[in-house]
Amino acid sequence: MNCHEAHEQMYGYLDRESGVVRRLRVRWHLYRCPPCGKGFSFEYALRLRVRQGCRDELPEELSHRLRALLREQTDGQG
Amino acid sequence: MADQATFESDVMPFAPQLYSAALRMTRNPTDAEDVLQEALLKAFRGYHTYESGTNLKAWLYRILTNTFINKYRERSRRPSEVELGELEDLYLFKRLGGEESTGGATRSAEEEALEGFVDEDIKGALESLPENFRMPVLLADVEGFSYKEIAEIMDVPIGTVMSRLHRGRKALQRALWRLAEERGIPA
Repeated sequence: MNCHEAHEQMYGYLDRESGVVRRLRVRWHLYRCPPCGKGFSFEYALRLRVRQGCRDELPEELSHRLRALLREQTDGQG
Repeated sequence: MADQATFESDVMPFAPQLYSAALRMTRNPTDAEDVLQEALLKAFRGYHTYESGTNLKAWLYRILTNTFINKYRERSRRPSEVELGELEDLYLFKRLGGEESTGGATRSAEEEALEGFVDEDIKGALESLPENFRMPVLLADVEGFSYKEIAEIMDVPIGTVMSRLHRGRKALQRALWRLAEERGIPA
């Protein structure tokens, strides 16, 4: 596997969507090619940063309101 | 078959995540509250159709996504292929100087540069993507769903999920790079 092929497989690899053989071939390429290794590692770090950066707190008032609404529904059904 | 009596205790633990996702979809708190509330009511009424033991989170996100799409679909602004343009792999990494840098540090300077973004930057960059691309990126990268789950949640073929996800991710990187340039984040 060359760098171009490795990049074509990048998202499938990082998303854990590619099969075992393909994963191993990508991993072997990353082991032998530090620049690709760095690139993949960056993509992974970016994903963690995105995940971490997109969490909002549920406002307490909204949480209470939703729970009250659901209880109303449950009570309504007896 | 799931029991409505346990709905609140089964589902409310997902509410903060669902609210965050609704915020990214609608891009404002008032609409996010409306979408979340409507989705929870739909989920409650349809809870008998949820099969216990299957993926509850995916089931809830499917309802949330449908509620959002039915209510707020950006009909007038269909994102076309042209709008995103073709972007290269490792868009942000390359611009942060990733290809030139050397050394085998466990954590590269490019990865450190990511800390220069605050959460509001990340949210803003994601929210700047057209809906068709924003949804798969949100579902995959923030919520951790598989391609197959996203295909089911969005009701589109898996190949469509993959191409939109790949292109959406690059567009997200371009949005972040624009912010970095404005701020002078890179070294």
